[in-house]
Amino acid sequence: MDMHISPSIIMRIKEFGESDLIVTFFTRDHGRIKGVAKGARRSRRRFSNSLDLFCLSDVEYSLKSNGDIHFLHSSKLIKPFPGIRSDFSALSLASYMIELTEILFPQNIVEKRMFELLKNCFVLLSQGERMDCLRIFFETKAMSLGGYAVSLDKCCHCKRIYSGAGRAVFIPDRGGISCLKCERESEYSIGLEPEAVNILKTLQSESDGSPSEILQLDMKIINKIRHLLKLHIDYRIGRKIKSAEYLDW
Amino acid sequence: MGIYPKSLERLIEHLSRLPGIGQKSAARIALHVLRSDKQLSEDLAMSLIAVKEKIRLCSVCFNITDDDPCRICSDENRADGTLCVVEGPGDQLALEEPGTFKGRYHVLHGVLSPLDGIGPKDLKINELLSRISKEKIREVILATNPTAEGETTASFIAGTLLKDRLDLKITRIALGVPMGGDLKYMDRMTIEHAMKSRMPVEL
Ligand SMILES: [Zn+2]
Ligand SMILES: [Zn+2]
Repeated sequence: MDMHISPSIIMRIKEFGESDLIVTFFTRDHGRIKGVAKGARRSRRRFSNSLDLFCLSDVEYSLKSNGDIHFLHSSKLIKPFPGIRSDFSALSLASYMIELTEILFPQNIVEKRMFELLKNCFVLLSQGERMDCLRIFFETKAMSLGGYAVSLDKCCHCKRIYSGAGRAVFIPDRGGISCLKCERESEYSIGLEPEAVNILKTLQSESDGSPSEILQLDMKIINKIRHLLKLHIDYRIGRKIKSAEYLDW
Repeated sequence: MGIYPKSLERLIEHLSRLPGIGQKSAARIALHVLRSDKQLSEDLAMSLIAVKEKIRLCSVCFNITDDDPCRICSDENRADGTLCVVEGPGDQLALEEPGTFKGRYHVLHGVLSPLDGIGPKDLKINELLSRISKEKIREVILATNPTAEGETTASFIAGTLLKDRLDLKITRIALGVPMGGDLKYMDRMTIEHAMKSRMPVEL
């Protein structure tokens, strides 16, 4: 059996049998993994309360070559994110991030940057970062990493390069922007100020910005980007995200 | 498959669906039932059916019960004014076992869990609020489990209660080093809590 130790975010836990837990966790090195932690509800030594929801823990595990249930041998708590454990809005946003990650990253798809994104967002959430901004920050980056970045470079119809100056229109089924000559603004194809397009570009770029960059913006732009992301995610994901119901923004 | 007669095979299959019972234990239990006298089978069958037919939720505390209101809710010797809030019937039983708590209970039937689509409306929280005023409650003990969802549920309830009852005493069960525990193997969070909720030594 090949053994690994990776920092991981605990995504889901389910009681199994008398004393076991089935744990889904996002590892830095092997993506999302589901495994059984034998005796985890009894053993204080091997797992020492480190398998609670949304914790960052160092997990020791081995991958089985067949089947999708692997083995957890031990784990140690790195960060429990107390801010997520005491506030329903924060718990709901963390849950939403987990659900979106599950949809974008099927089991065993390795993406170190997704692990880092999840971890950083949990740190920010636990520190009390503004949740509306943090949601936009996470959604944009997660969609990008999952292969669904909004294409902002040129008009999706006539292919004219977007200069970054004029208004544009977002087209959900093309997952990109269009110029005003090719498409008119409507409720479904929302118009975008150049600031909104540029902010999205910054968020999607590899560089690690922080949500406080968005914080500088006025609410009008934040609301516009939020609306765009809703249309984009609804179209690309095509299914209900349970925890979204509990987000007020 | 198929080494036992059909009716025995079926019993083994049903037993092995129960939590904690594997194929081997199921076969052992089934063979035991077969060897025992008929009375055992009849009693067993009847008690299984009774559980499904007779057990319901107490209309006051929402614990599972044969009679409504349940034994604890109808016990006049229990202290009024103190309400202990728990996640499920199993937690209530565990708290009742030492026999030291003399107040009354309220069973939520779950915890807030956005991941599973469980929000405040899915728990017995509104029922708790109406009990607080109806039963003149002075103290609420929040005894949900110290998991992310249990903690969040406790603070959500505390926030909701304090909105219209500032005089209400709200307490949370302590979190710390368990009996027979070893500090070397404790997680950081537990140790932090244990230090925070330390108690004066009484001689
Ligand atoms: Zn165009
Ligand atoms: Zn009752």
